[in-house]
Amino acid sequence: MTLKVLVVEDDPVIRGLLRASLAAEGFAVTTAVSLSEATALLQHDPPGLIVLDLGLPDGDGAELVRAVRQRSSLPIVVASAREDPAGKIALLDAGADDYLVKPFSVAELLARIRVAMRHRGSVLQPALRRFDGEGLRVDLDARRVERDGAPVHLTPTEFDLLARLLRSGGRIVTHRQLLTDVWGAEHVADTHYLRLYMGQLRAKLERSPSEPRFLLTETGVGYRFAID
Amino acid sequence: MAPLPSPTPAVRWRPAATAGLLIAAASGVSAVLDRHVSLASQAMLYLIAVVIAAYVCDRLTAIGSAVAAVTALNFFFVPPRYTLAVEHREHLITLATMLGVALLVSWLSGRVRSESQSAAASERRARQLSTLAAELLDAADEAQAVAAGERALRSAFERTVLVTLDEQGAMHPADGLAPAVLQSLRCAIDEAAVIGPGTGRWPGIDAWVLPLGSRGHVIGAVRIEPAPAADQLGREHAAALASVLAQGLWRLRSARASLQAEAALQRQRLQSTFLAAVSHDLRTPLAAIVAAASALREQRGRLPAAEQERMLESIGNQARYLSGITENTLQLVRLASGPLAPRLEWQSLEEIVGSVLGRLRHQPCGARIEARVETALPLVRGDATLLAQLLTNLLDNACKYSAGAILLSACRKPDGVVVSVADRGPGVAPADEVRLFEPYFRGEAKAAGEGAGLGLALCRAIATAHGGTLAFARRRHGGSRFILTLPIEPQPEAGA
Repeated sequence: MTLKVLVVEDDPVIRGLLRASLAAEGFAVTTAVSLSEATALLQHDPPGLIVLDLGLPDGDGAELVRAVRQRSSLPIVVASAREDPAGKIALLDAGADDYLVKPFSVAELLARIRVAMRHRGSVLQPALRRFDGEGLRVDLDARRVERDGAPVHLTPTEFDLLARLLRSGGRIVTHRQLLTDVWGAEHVADTHYLRLYMGQLRAKLERSPSEPRFLLTETGVGYRFAID
Repeated sequence: MAPLPSPTPAVRWRPAATAGLLIAAASGVSAVLDRHVSLASQAMLYLIAVVIAAYVCDRLTAIGSAVAAVTALNFFFVPPRYTLAVEHREHLITLATMLGVALLVSWLSGRVRSESQSAAASERRARQLSTLAAELLDAADEAQAVAAGERALRSAFERTVLVTLDEQGAMHPADGLAPAVLQSLRCAIDEAAVIGPGTGRWPGIDAWVLPLGSRGHVIGAVRIEPAPAADQLGREHAAALASVLAQGLWRLRSARASLQAEAALQRQRLQSTFLAAVSHDLRTPLAAIVAAASALREQRGRLPAAEQERMLESIGNQARYLSGITENTLQLVRLASGPLAPRLEWQSLEEIVGSVLGRLRHQPCGARIEARVETALPLVRGDATLLAQLLTNLLDNACKYSAGAILLSACRKPDGVVVSVADRGPGVAPADEVRLFEPYFRGEAKAAGEGAGLGLALCRAIATAHGGTLAFARRRHGGSRFILTLPIEPQPEAGA
């Protein structure tokens, strides 16, 4: 079945461009130019994924993210010109699956859509529990990590951090989410834990820790485990 | 003028007592020597007393002592003794001569005394004026100048009030001044003239009120008490002090005004440079994009595939470049609009280098970057977005102005964490080195090319906002090196 994508974007040029590019990739595309139109479409013609612009004529796209999250796990990829990290964090914490800053390339958008779709069934299917690629092998259930065939010893905290990132493989996990899930809600402000433990994890898992291949930094926002 | 102690009763009788004692002493000595000396010598002794009295006491006392001396000589030593009668005509002449000499001497010595006093007074006044002038020259602001003026006035007069006018014409300080005082100050300011005894204006008040400055340029006023109408010199001194003070205040005010004008001009110049730079830097890539896009639309069928590919690539590159300019401008505005403090968090330089490299590797010059990051670098406090922007700008510059390998290194040094970006490009002309980090500055080599000249200015602003430094150095075998040094702070505790 063809995946239906709803593009919410008020700029006609970008809207047209996204419609053409996504249609060329085989998606069925519907578009909305405002929050109210998007809300109506969500009820009458529910899509499989939303690509959302933030600054809309009748309100902020963030409202739509919250409204959708109250009812479903419909994947939402935000595409906005706002680069302020605090805004990105707020959206991701509100439940957006991913965030792209304009200007972005179509290839980037397609990659984010693929990642978001992979997690689409996460309610039914178990989250990502294993990873194998480019010399790194992780098996969360067996608590085993290998690099180039040799076992790597991780401390319990390092393992929990890796597991949390891997479960959301390909998606940004914000600082707050990581700190809450790994260290507990009372440590949400201790971002230096992340700096230190991510450094240790990279030293153990990456070939070149200063140019990570798997454990990527989303500056000012969070981290992402790259799965492709 | 010197503070004239107002004559209290205790002081009023003191010269008379001194004169009396002197006459008594002369009488005593004459009595002791009575048998051995003539009347002429006794008269001389009395004359000494009169001369001394005339020098140390005021003129009236001096005349009194002259009369008293003649009377005492007559009473005690001129026969018949103990009467005021005179026996011989010769003695009468002696007494008359003595009176004449005594009066003359007292008058002369009184003059000497008053001249030396007025010389001392004018020396004191000259010193007060020159001290005030020197202090005014040293004064950095109006408050210091006013303080110097108050000191000078207090050293010269008994009670003084000094007010200045602000730009709205209000007097400062106005609190705590009696209405009559305020009224007199306001009158002197409005009329731009001295009022008080001896000036023809407001002779009824016991004070001189002098405006600071001349008509149309009055910036304050001085009130001086007490003000004897006859004290011409004192009034002149007050006028001199007021004039020096007014000049000093004017100098400070006009210096401030010209500084403000200069700053406004500078801002305006910077703004127009900015607009020129931005419009140039926006127009050049826009022109390339429009040209490439229109060529693709209109000549697609006739262009070779490789050429079409090249045009598409140039559209992408120029657009990315525009996006970079926008980003730099936004961050510069953000840094200029407020302090950075609230967003300082612990950051890992290894991580920031990693994210910057991750982005640049997709670009054509990414392959030329060689990164050497020391392991276990200390964390720094900062804003990750800004630090990443700084590194991106340095690497972008190196890409743009050099062809060979670009070395990015991060290591720990005694004075901080040092991140450096080095290339083998043409380097920076020595003449350009000083202005390298100024906003909107573009070196000779870049003049023809692109760059708003914002990049390095932003880099330095970011470094400074982090308590660090950004320096330029020439590499030994050609090329440039930009060195960012960030302070190492006590490291946070690692969580379990």
